[in-house]
Amino acid sequence: MSVTPKPAGGVGMDMTAMGLAILLMLAIIGVAWYMFGLSLIFYALIAIIIGGALIGFGVHFVPVGGAPAAMGQAPGIATGVAMLAGGAGLAGLFGGAWAADLGIVVACAGGAIGGALMMAITCMFVNVIYVYGMGIPSASGKAKVDPLTGDTQTEYKSQGTEGHGLPFISFVGGIVGGFLGGLGGTLIYYVLLKWVYVEKLAHALGAGPLANVTPIAISLAGIFAIGLFLVNAVLAAYNITGTIEGPHDPKFARWPRAVVATAVASAVCGIVAIAIVAV
Amino acid sequence: MTVKIEVIAGGIPHDQLMIAGLVGSLVCIYLTYLNAMTNSFVFSFFGGLGAVCALIWGSNTIKVLCSYGIGTGVPSAGMLALGSGVIAMLLATRYGIWAPIMAVVLAAIIGAILGYLANNVLMMKIPVMIRSITEMAVIGALSLMGFSAMAAGSFDFAAISTGTQTFLGMTVTSYGNSYMGLTIIAVSFFLAAIAIQHPFNATLGPSWKQDRMLWLAGECGFLSMITVAVMSLAFLSLNAALVSLGISIILWAYTYSQYITLSKRDAASWLDSKPIVEPEGH
Repeated sequence: MSVTPKPAGGVGMDMTAMGLAILLMLAIIGVAWYMFGLSLIFYALIAIIIGGALIGFGVHFVPVGGAPAAMGQAPGIATGVAMLAGGAGLAGLFGGAWAADLGIVVACAGGAIGGALMMAITCMFVNVIYVYGMGIPSASGKAKVDPLTGDTQTEYKSQGTEGHGLPFISFVGGIVGGFLGGLGGTLIYYVLLKWVYVEKLAHALGAGPLANVTPIAISLAGIFAIGLFLVNAVLAAYNITGTIEGPHDPKFARWPRAVVATAVASAVCGIVAIAIVAV
Repeated sequence: MTVKIEVIAGGIPHDQLMIAGLVGSLVCIYLTYLNAMTNSFVFSFFGGLGAVCALIWGSNTIKVLCSYGIGTGVPSAGMLALGSGVIAMLLATRYGIWAPIMAVVLAAIIGAILGYLANNVLMMKIPVMIRSITEMAVIGALSLMGFSAMAAGSFDFAAISTGTQTFLGMTVTSYGNSYMGLTIIAVSFFLAAIAIQHPFNATLGPSWKQDRMLWLAGECGFLSMITVAVMSLAFLSLNAALVSLGISIILWAYTYSQYITLSKRDAASWLDSKPIVEPEGH
C-alpha cells in the first residue's frame, strides 16, 4: 500500500548550502584557470556554466501540467518537466548543431530558434487539443488577468480545477523557455566541439595529423551536451517540484536557487567533459 | 519537507540489492576482458549482463527515491542517472583496465555533488536523496559501460573510438566507423534510460510488489540488450554478435514469461479470454 504525498517543495533559500555550492564552483573555475590559463579551454568551461544556468532558468518558463493537465484540471502541457525540457533542448541542439561551422552566433541562434519553434508547435497543438478536442477554454488558475493581454481569467475557470488549457502567458512562457533551453544546450555543444575537442582530441587519441577525428569530436560533444542538458533540466524540475504555469506562477520566483544549482552542476560535469581530452 | 508514508515489508532489502548489483555489474563488465585474453569477441555479452545487473539495482533505487514523491515523475530520475553517468563513464574509459572502477568512483563523486545540490540548494529535503542520486549516477555509468563493452568488445576508450574500414581492398583504421564515431553511444544512452525508468513507472501503485518490478527490470534490460546485440554486428565478428543475440533473446523470453506470471498473480482477477468460436455451417 503506498500513498505518495505531493511534495510541497522548500520555500526560501539555504544560504549555507548555496555558499558551499558557489564555493565549489569557484574552486573548479580556479583549478581550470591554474591548469589551462586564459585559454580557449578555460573560456569553454565558463561558457558551459553559462549554458547550464540558461537551461536551468529556461525550464522555469515552460508551462508543465503533468497528469492533472491531461485531465483538464490544471493549465499547462500534459507531461513532466524532464520530458518537455528534453524535447525542447534536443530539438534546439539539432537546430544548432548543423550550423556549428558557421560560427558561434549562427549556431546559438539556430539552437535557440529550434528550441523555441519546438515549444511553439507543442503549445499550439496542446491548445488545439484542449479547445477543439476536450472542449475547454484556456484559463489560468494562478493569475486573475493575463499579464500580457489583460484578459480576465477567473470567469472561464471551472470550479474545482486549478485552471485549464494554455493561456497566452503560458504559451509565451513556453516559447521563451524553449528559446533559452535551446540556446544553452547549443552553447554547450558548440564550445565543447570547437573550443575543446577539435583542438585537443587528435592529440588525446594519439592519432596522426592526417587522421579524421571529427566524427569522434562531434559524437563526444553531442553526448556530453545531451548529458549536461538532462542533468540541468532535471535539477530545475526538482526545484519546481511538479507543475508550473509559466512566468506568472508564484513558483517562478524560485529560479535563483535553480540557477545556482545548475551552474554548479554544469561546472562539475563540464570539467569532467574537458578532462577527457585535456588531462 | 516531504514525509514518507508507506512502509516496506518483506522483499529483498535495498542494501543487499545494491551490493549484489554493484559487484555483479563490475564482475560481468570485467569478464569482457576475456575478449582481450582469448583474442576473440565472443565474451562481449558479459557487458550486457553487467548492464542488466546495474539496471535491476537501479529500478529498486528509483523505487526508494520515488517513494518520497519527488513530484516530477519517475522518468526524470532515470534521465538524471544516465545524464550524469555518461559523463563519468566517458572520462573513466581513458583509464584502461581501471575503467569500470574509475567509472564507479567518478560517478559517485558527481552523483554526490548533484544529490547535495538537489537536497540542500534546491531544498528537496528528502533523507535518501543524496544517497539515491549517488547510486543512480553509478548505475547510469555502469549500465552504459556495460552496453558499450557489449557493442564494441571492450570498455577501453581506444576500442570504442576506433573502428576499421575497408578501402580499396585494404583494411584501415577509421575513427568514423567506431562505436563513438557513429554515435551508437546515444542509442545505448536512451536504451539504458528507458530500461531504468520503466520498471517502477509501470508497476507502481497500490499493488506494487518488489519481485514483479525486479523481473520487469530484467526484462527491460534484456530487451535493450537485444538491440545492443544487433548493433554489435557492426563492430564485432558475426559469431560474437550471434552469441550475444542468442543469449539476450533467451534471457528476455525467460524474464518476460516470469513477469507475465507475476502480473497474473498480482492482478485482482484476470480472465484468459479466447475469441468466440463462430461455427460456419454444420
